[in-house]
Amino acid sequence: MVEADNVSMKYNRCKQYALEDVSFSISRGEFVFIVGSSGAGKSTLLKLIIREIKPTAGLMKVFGKDISRLPRRRLPSLRRSIGMVFQDFRLIDDRTVSENVAFALMVTGASRRDIRKKVPHVLGLVGLQEKAKERVCDLSGGEQQRVGLARALVNRPSIIMADEPTGNLDPGTALDIMNLLRSINLSGTTVLVATHNREIVDRFKKRVIYLDQGKLIGDEQKGIYTHVR
Amino acid sequence: MFVSGLGYIIGETFKGLYRNRWMCITSTGVVVVTLLMLGLFMLVNLNIDHITETVKEQVEIVVYIEDQAAQEAVNDLYKQLSEHRQVEEVTYVSSEEHMRRLQMQLGGMLEGYDSALDNPLLASYEIKTVVPESVVELAEEFETYPAVSTVFYGQGYVENLFAVTGVLQYVGMALMLGLAVTAIFLISHTIKLTVMMRRKEIVIMKYVGASNWFIRWPFLMEGLLMGLVGAVVPLVILYYLYQYSIEWVAGNNLYFLSLLPAEPVIRELAKYLIPLGTGLGIIGSTFSIGRFLRV
Ligand SMILES: Nc1ncnc2c1ncn2[C@@H]1O[C@H](COP(=O)(O)OP(=O)(O)OP(=O)(O)O)[C@@H](O)[C@H]1O
Ligand SMILES: [Mg+2]
Repeated sequence: MVEADNVSMKYNRCKQYALEDVSFSISRGEFVFIVGSSGAGKSTLLKLIIREIKPTAGLMKVFGKDISRLPRRRLPSLRRSIGMVFQDFRLIDDRTVSENVAFALMVTGASRRDIRKKVPHVLGLVGLQEKAKERVCDLSGGEQQRVGLARALVNRPSIIMADEPTGNLDPGTALDIMNLLRSINLSGTTVLVATHNREIVDRFKKRVIYLDQGKLIGDEQKGIYTHVR
Repeated sequence: MFVSGLGYIIGETFKGLYRNRWMCITSTGVVVVTLLMLGLFMLVNLNIDHITETVKEQVEIVVYIEDQAAQEAVNDLYKQLSEHRQVEEVTYVSSEEHMRRLQMQLGGMLEGYDSALDNPLLASYEIKTVVPESVVELAEEFETYPAVSTVFYGQGYVENLFAVTGVLQYVGMALMLGLAVTAIFLISHTIKLTVMMRRKEIVIMKYVGASNWFIRWPFLMEGLLMGLVGAVVPLVILYYLYQYSIEWVAGNNLYFLSLLPAEPVIRELAKYLIPLGTGLGIIGSTFSIGRFLRV
């Protein structure tokens, strides 16, 4: 599903590489944690996968295709098959929770009936059905994060990527969200979670990719947070 | 996209227009002025063509006979006119004939008016001159003849009109071109304001997989609507203005200025103004979106 071949990424104005020579391969149906301290390059990695940015060097393949060579008109279809929960949420503040979620359906050309059915369902999954009519700017950070998750889920994408999905949540809710991601994974969806939540990583015992200052320093099945070289 | 998307696009279009209503009104206003001018020029042009056509077939000088003139004096006048060296042809037109022509010109407007009882129109002699250039001199001379009420000459008048409008047309063209460019600029600026306000939203839309067209539509519609309103308003103004001119011309007995009927003329104008207006709007909006779609 996702394949990185000696991928390096350097942002325009920066001297340092955000990612350096990173290689890995993720197959369909996997659940993968991407861990590392702040600035390790976790978000950068996810941004590469949805082609928010292009790698400076190396080959990044998503759904078997080199995303650097993906023509612009194919971008919408790539992004519709990946549900992304952004670290900075990227919600439309002056719209309601349901509008934000409906948005992702609407751009794919879903019918009104479809939207009316799917949006409440997915808001129920993340526990936000009561807040459907509230505007996003009136929600707490944790609630906004869950709106982002609902939006990522609503299209039933084949890959879900969550950047720090538990960052603003209390441990109980964080666990709920992670359990939700796990059940989605069990239904066949590939899940990538970038996090530095040690407890959760250790508890779930899934594949862990370790990043440190842009370098991949470990990739373990059933890993735990602390990587020992 | 045209199932749920359509409602969204229409909603966004009007929201965008409302949020920038002042800029919107300004841009639309410039389109209105541009197309109003263009429409006016087209209207004048069409009618000048029409008038010169009809004038060519018309007599050159009309000598109206005094209402109370004795039959003898009228006969003398006829003799005087037809024996003039510069006159080629003299035709008598009775007041009844004038009334009949007027009724034809005005269509049904004088329906039921009993001209036999009360006919305010004068009888006249219509005169063709040997050389058209002498029209003005001759008209002045005829005015001094006894039993003459007024003398009228059409062609020279129309030619003057021609000369004036010829210059006006060049000035107008230049002005219109300038205005059209301004209109495009203003429309694109107005839409850019909406784009800027929704910049974040547009980027988000891109990341959840919106196609460029989906994002573009509301902005295109915004421009298109401004252009369309900018074309319809001048058409309405021109329609009433023109209707008024027709009535004014008729009311002042200037029936040699035979204007074209209003509806077909305005319809003809619409064929040009509406595509032009919407075109200006669409060009304006395409200038403003491009940059934001490259994410
Ligand atoms: N838009 C950007 N422009 C320039 N440099 C950037 C940009 N985004 C990230 N970087 C740099 O790239 C490096 C990796 O950043 P990245 O956001 O991928 O880290 P992260 O692992 O997601 O960190 P965190 O846990 O804090 O979210 C950092 O050194 C950062 O300064
Ligand atoms: Mg990050």
